[in-house]
Amino acid sequence: MKRGLVVLDPEEIPETERRDRVAALQRAMSADGLDVALIYGDVSRSDDIAYLTNLCIYWNEGILAVPAEGEPVFLTKLSPRVHPWMRLVSTVTEIHSGRNFGDLAAKFLGPGDGPGKDAPGTTVGLVDAGLWPAALAEEIRRALPGWDVRDTGDLGRSPRLVPSQHERALLRRAGGLLARTTDDAAVDGMTGSERIAAAERGLRDAGFLDVLARTHDAPGGVTWLEVTGQYRNLWLHASRLADATATAAWPAALRRALATVTAAARSGMTAQRLAEAAAADITGLPLGAAAGVRWVHQADMATNGEYARYPADLPIPEGAVVVLAVEAVFPDGRHAAVADTVAVGATGAESLTSQETTR
Amino acid sequence: MMTTDKAEDKAEQELRLRRVRAAMAEQGLDALLAFAPAWRRENVRYFTDAPAAGSATFALVPAAGPANGPVTAFSTRAADLHGILRRGWAGEALALDAHAPAALTGRLRDLRPARLGIAHYELLPQLLASELSTALPKTEIVSATKLMDDIRLVKSDWEINRMRQAAAAVEAGWQAFVDVLKPGLPEYAIVAAVEAAIKKLGAEDNFMLIASGGDEVRGMTAPAPRVLQAGDMVRTELTPQVNGYWLQICRSATVGKASDAQHKSFELFNEAVNAGMSAVRPGVTAHDVAKAQNDVFRARGYGEYCTSQYTRVRGHGHGLHLDETPIIEGNETVLPENAVFIIHPNTYTPIAGYHVLGDPVRVTPGGAEVLIGTERKLFEGAI
Repeated sequence: MKRGLVVLDPEEIPETERRDRVAALQRAMSADGLDVALIYGDVSRSDDIAYLTNLCIYWNEGILAVPAEGEPVFLTKLSPRVHPWMRLVSTVTEIHSGRNFGDLAAKFLGPGDGPGKDAPGTTVGLVDAGLWPAALAEEIRRALPGWDVRDTGDLGRSPRLVPSQHERALLRRAGGLLARTTDDAAVDGMTGSERIAAAERGLRDAGFLDVLARTHDAPGGVTWLEVTGQYRNLWLHASRLADATATAAWPAALRRALATVTAAARSGMTAQRLAEAAAADITGLPLGAAAGVRWVHQADMATNGEYARYPADLPIPEGAVVVLAVEAVFPDGRHAAVADTVAVGATGAESLTSQETTR
Repeated sequence: MMTTDKAEDKAEQELRLRRVRAAMAEQGLDALLAFAPAWRRENVRYFTDAPAAGSATFALVPAAGPANGPVTAFSTRAADLHGILRRGWAGEALALDAHAPAALTGRLRDLRPARLGIAHYELLPQLLASELSTALPKTEIVSATKLMDDIRLVKSDWEINRMRQAAAAVEAGWQAFVDVLKPGLPEYAIVAAVEAAIKKLGAEDNFMLIASGGDEVRGMTAPAPRVLQAGDMVRTELTPQVNGYWLQICRSATVGKASDAQHKSFELFNEAVNAGMSAVRPGVTAHDVAKAQNDVFRARGYGEYCTSQYTRVRGHGHGLHLDETPIIEGNETVLPENAVFIIHPNTYTPIAGYHVLGDPVRVTPGGAEVLIGTERKLFEGAI
């Protein structure tokens, strides 16, 4: 859960860049004919909101209302007691608390000082509407009679897919921290609880906001350690295999495959082509086991990419930071993977979470 | 740390299905679908007793009938499925594509429920809700969130045992919190120490808020870069999850010797906790427990600090979710024997700022049983 450091540091992301992010969204809204965009987030998935404002929804849910002109406004069920903290750690100045979002939206958009004061009954977009709770989307529609409430595309996610230079610097810094911590937690002989404790201690001490560390038993006494960390509003992931004995050949094969995939990664590559590149490395799997290659934008790691579409022929965009994973599925249903987070360029990829860098 | 007595596990699993199916019958449900977004997994866990990491997971429970069909679990994280099946409470576990959930809609079509209850229907994303509606055009879909909340309110002995196991992580977490306090330490480093201590004991997760400083502190949040200073009071509610069950402790500690005002504040809050404890008996309402605590503040002239301007609740239920029924005036929810909740009158007062103190309790015929062994006092960290 998000119980690590929350900080707004203009030396990391300049105020101008944050303002530009909001302005870019507002231009996209204008192009789509939207007067207001509503962006939903909850404690597990709020990166669109944090990207624009640095707000951390550490509990419950929230909606960021972005008018076509002017500053974003945060609507929350959390008490006004936390408004001072929210203002301290974010760029939001106007925050409204209430028991339900329909009333909050109606108050913000209805007659008064909000965007609806002069022209009630204009157009509201629900950003990434498919991911909104259906009941909440309906509540908003009911609360705004006369408004055209539309489902929009991923106006919040798409600008996050290629990190800025400032974000890349943060990702590099965080990648080094995550690499060291994960490697320390992956030495042979530790218990699963000890590995997770080491990951939590190392990453929280280094200022990570969120840490999702898990271990899984894999065939041959091997342990799969997966560590996903959120640093500021950016995500990194590494997976390692520990306790691999000489009798199990597949862990080394997966590692070779990941090295090959990382060396082959560049903009335009697809999961299918990466898998083809690594096919010769994936040998020695137990009978009936299979291995595959996948990539996921760091921007989607709050959900491990499970709410985004990643067809096998989707090309990696230039400048993206993605998780590359080689994952094996064994006949008994167990999984194991090796993975790193890499920055992808036109000619190669830079691994952010391993000591070896390829370019 | 998983319970290993298979006979007791089987009995618990059967008890749950009996209780749920009886409630389903009362409400005319032909099937119940528990939905779990990543931050509300309690109902799916109730049916699978297995951890899951999927962004969306489900458990499908057919109504009682001649076949009494097994529970089927679904997850958007394929790596979840082995653990769910190994636990054995779900008869099947299937991978789910959030954009093409045919695995789920196919099973629902097979069941052809006239009336389907969905737990956490209010949180179901539109993309999944529309797929369900399309797959079940003739089915009446209703919320089953309250049905599950009511069922989970009263814990079985098996569940109480699980919560007692969580107490060890609670106590170790608090000890780590006190041990690490020193001037110059940033708030987030306290969290790191606590996390390491409780994860080493097998905690799956933790919910934790924190605040440090003096009289000016008005509430708790996620940690900041602020560094501790001598004389600070550091407040926390920390809530490890062990084997699915959350258990919370609320305490405050000072960096160095506590001031007279900090002691005075502790005495007030401790009296309120004791008053809340004294009110507990089977059949008491959440309102009664909250009022008993608030009355202490009112009697001492601090009644205004029990309002929403300064505080939220006077405690809340615990179990497979960390924040179950709120202990607050106006909530007439009856708390029967074996309900579990924390009593915490946390609020701001001008005495020493926001103060945090509370213990999780179980309702017994004889009153409140405190589920943790940590002493209730104002802790003083070293300088």
